[in-house]
Amino acid sequence: MRHISIRTRLVLSFSIVILVGVLLSAFVGIRLIGNTIIRQAQGKVRLDLNSAWEVYKGQSENIKDVVRLTAVRFFMKDAVSKNDRERLWRELQKIRESESLDILTLIDGEGRVLVRARRPDLFGDPLDNDIIEYVLINEREIVSTQIITEEQLQKEGGDLASQARMKLIPTPKAKPRPEAEETSGMMIIAAAPVYDYHGDLIGILLGGKLLNRDYEIVDRVKDIVYRGETYQGKDIGTATIFQGDLRIATNVLREDGSRAIGTRVSEEVYDQVIGQGAPWIGRAFVVNDWYITAYEPIKSLQGEIIGMLYVGMLEAPYLDLRNRVLFIFLGIALLSVILLSIIAYFTTAKVVRPVRQLLFATEKVADGNLSHRLPIQSRDEMGQLAASFNRMTEELQKATEGYHMLTRTLEDKVREKTEELKATQDQLIQSEKLTSLGKLAAGIAHEINNPLTSILINSHLIAEKLKSDDRFKENLELITDETARCSTIVKGLLEFSRQTQPEKRLTDVNKVVDKTLLLLRSEALAHKVRIHKALDSALPDIMIDGNKIEQVFTNVILNALEAMPTGGDLFISSRILSEDQLVAVSFRDSGCGISQENIGKIFDPFFTTKERTGTGLGLSVSYGIVQQHGGRIEVQSQMEKGTTVTILLPANNTRGQNSKTGR
Amino acid sequence: MQAKVKILVVDDELPVCRSISSALEAEGRLIDTALGGEEALRKEEENEYDIMLVDLMMPGMSGMDLLKAVKEKRAEVVVVMITGYPTMDTAVQSVKLGAFDYIPKPFTPDELRSIVSRALERRRLYEQKIASAEKPGEEESAEPGLPKNLYCIPDHCWAKVEGDGTVRIGVHDIFLMTIKDISSIDFPYENEKVGQGDACLWVVDARGNLHRMWSPVSGQVISINEELKEDYSQVMRDPYGSGWLLLIKPASLEDDLKNLAPLVLE
Repeated sequence: MRHISIRTRLVLSFSIVILVGVLLSAFVGIRLIGNTIIRQAQGKVRLDLNSAWEVYKGQSENIKDVVRLTAVRFFMKDAVSKNDRERLWRELQKIRESESLDILTLIDGEGRVLVRARRPDLFGDPLDNDIIEYVLINEREIVSTQIITEEQLQKEGGDLASQARMKLIPTPKAKPRPEAEETSGMMIIAAAPVYDYHGDLIGILLGGKLLNRDYEIVDRVKDIVYRGETYQGKDIGTATIFQGDLRIATNVLREDGSRAIGTRVSEEVYDQVIGQGAPWIGRAFVVNDWYITAYEPIKSLQGEIIGMLYVGMLEAPYLDLRNRVLFIFLGIALLSVILLSIIAYFTTAKVVRPVRQLLFATEKVADGNLSHRLPIQSRDEMGQLAASFNRMTEELQKATEGYHMLTRTLEDKVREKTEELKATQDQLIQSEKLTSLGKLAAGIAHEINNPLTSILINSHLIAEKLKSDDRFKENLELITDETARCSTIVKGLLEFSRQTQPEKRLTDVNKVVDKTLLLLRSEALAHKVRIHKALDSALPDIMIDGNKIEQVFTNVILNALEAMPTGGDLFISSRILSEDQLVAVSFRDSGCGISQENIGKIFDPFFTTKERTGTGLGLSVSYGIVQQHGGRIEVQSQMEKGTTVTILLPANNTRGQNSKTGR
Repeated sequence: MQAKVKILVVDDELPVCRSISSALEAEGRLIDTALGGEEALRKEEENEYDIMLVDLMMPGMSGMDLLKAVKEKRAEVVVVMITGYPTMDTAVQSVKLGAFDYIPKPFTPDELRSIVSRALERRRLYEQKIASAEKPGEEESAEPGLPKNLYCIPDHCWAKVEGDGTVRIGVHDIFLMTIKDISSIDFPYENEKVGQGDACLWVVDARGNLHRMWSPVSGQVISINEELKEDYSQVMRDPYGSGWLLLIKPASLEDDLKNLAPLVLE
């Protein structure tokens, strides 16, 4: 799930919620609508069945009325009383035809047939059924639906039996029946008593209409209730009269367009309606289509269930209506989902974009780029987040910069201090060396002075006593000379050890250089050295002990001259190093140079390359003097090229700093 | 002649004492040695020496203390200090405190004899003065109203601070009296540097003795009195005027003056 972006997840979950909601409401809606439609249809079917019953009963009443009114006619009383069969037949035949009854039969008081309207030739046979019995007992008219056997039908008239006879068409779902055809018929029969003028019962008149293949009722039901409406070439409304489970009159059509008589009702309906006598209302597959149906039992006079009355509405229009509603509903739902998803997409984009920017920014910060800033696009929480992120990175940047600066400063400081420390350490070592050596030298010099004094005096005294041509005279002179040299060395040593505090005054360094050169001019000439001066006339006066610095310059120049035994050039320059507040005086010779090995030792006391001529103290003393001034001596040298000695003296000494404040 | 000249040599090292003694041995001289300040004081009390040669650096009682003690008792004793080089300041100071002169180690018998001959002359001057006034002249303090720019290493040389900051130096009349006459003067070069208490010139007397003259100030020689080269007697005639010797540009005048005494002209 990790690789799915927030945005997709948001849109997905949004869409899922919408989809579920829409589907749920669609499902409930469809169920509600479907049920309502079906229930309404069923309610209508129930009403239609009532209408059908009205038609059926109207027919029954009509037959009963015909029979009752005919029974009370005078010609009946007269003709029965007179046993005028001819007249009866004529009259009854007339009535039967005009009222389109299938049978009209008169029975005498003993239950024998007096006359049959359709068969004048057959009479005198007993006729007994439930209706006649009812009339005999109750002496009043009655109408009912009765099953009439084939035998009876044949008695009533030849063609009635064949009208009723019906081949059973095999019907799926129907309850299996052993016989192949139905021979009896179902008839609406009415009976009424016939009285003579005295009011005595003299006969019973029977009138009936065979329902088999008589489509009057069902078509009237269709016309009245459904007004012949059709749906895709099919009648919406249908009505059927069943004899038992057999369709005997119907306007349900088979595929070939013929009426579906001879087919049977499904076993399910049969069991409920005929078996249990309860009405059936609901979906049913009728012949070849689904219908919303209502069945009710048709009972005989004795209450026996002999058939059913059915009305049905084609289910298809309702289903189509329901489907249409369903599609509309689903369409709306789908449209909503799409629309909401799009809205979600753009809404989440608004949320997700700043999140992405934030993500990008945090990655940058993680990579160390602290200068990246988020654009502030809104004033909502995202905007505030961006602002606070910016503030955070800004602080972080500041802190980091401060940290870096601190580190840099610290590094610089450490480096600077280390260098300073090293320089100080070097100086300390050098000055320590000088101090201890100075003390040593002073001690040695003082101790040596005494024996030297004795040697000097005594050797002189001996020399005084010797004759001028004495052979030891020369030896003695050697002793006195060497003692004098010792004395000179000791003097140098003492000079070195006697490094008194400099007495500083504001002095022009250039003048010190000039003074030094004045003294050494003849020396330089002797060495065939040309001196080139480049003194900066803008040098400030600095606090130095002119005499001591002159001593330093003298030492340096003498060394330079010594380095050029066959002549050369000595360049002397002075300048101010303003950034270091130093005055620099450089002495560059074109002499033999100092070896790398020796360059570290030149300031060491007693270090000399001059063998017998030097004490090795000149530069050491110079070093001490310069150090006492807070300055330093730098030496650069290249073998056979020359040496540059630079004396650096601080230029920021104030007048107040003089010998008294120093140690 | 009168009684023998009594000389005491004080040095903590016996060989040095003996060397000096043998260098000074001569007719009419009695030379004693002492190996320390205390011993010297004891002997001085016994013998009342005319001249004392005292080493400045000694263990125990220092030469300076000995000088003070002796001068306190007997101002007319001529004390010559023997110094090591590092004690040059002290040497000059010792002269201010009453020493006649000083001689740095190591020295030759001639140098020693020169200074001792001058010391003897000085001793003789004292005796004459004691005979006449009973008081050494230079002990008199500076009189008020005297110019403040005149200083000296007592009995040795003088220094006059000129208006332009340079210092004119010359030789003290007592110094002249101790050498009696000048046959020549060995001058320094111009621009040569001198330190206070260092020899700045040599005076050769009639007998050929070399006498060092200490410079009263540190500095650089600006010029020398060329006129004197033709007639050295000028120095004898007018030691504080036309007999001046050198003109020096001082290096550290203020500090130098502390070691000097004011010059009193009679």
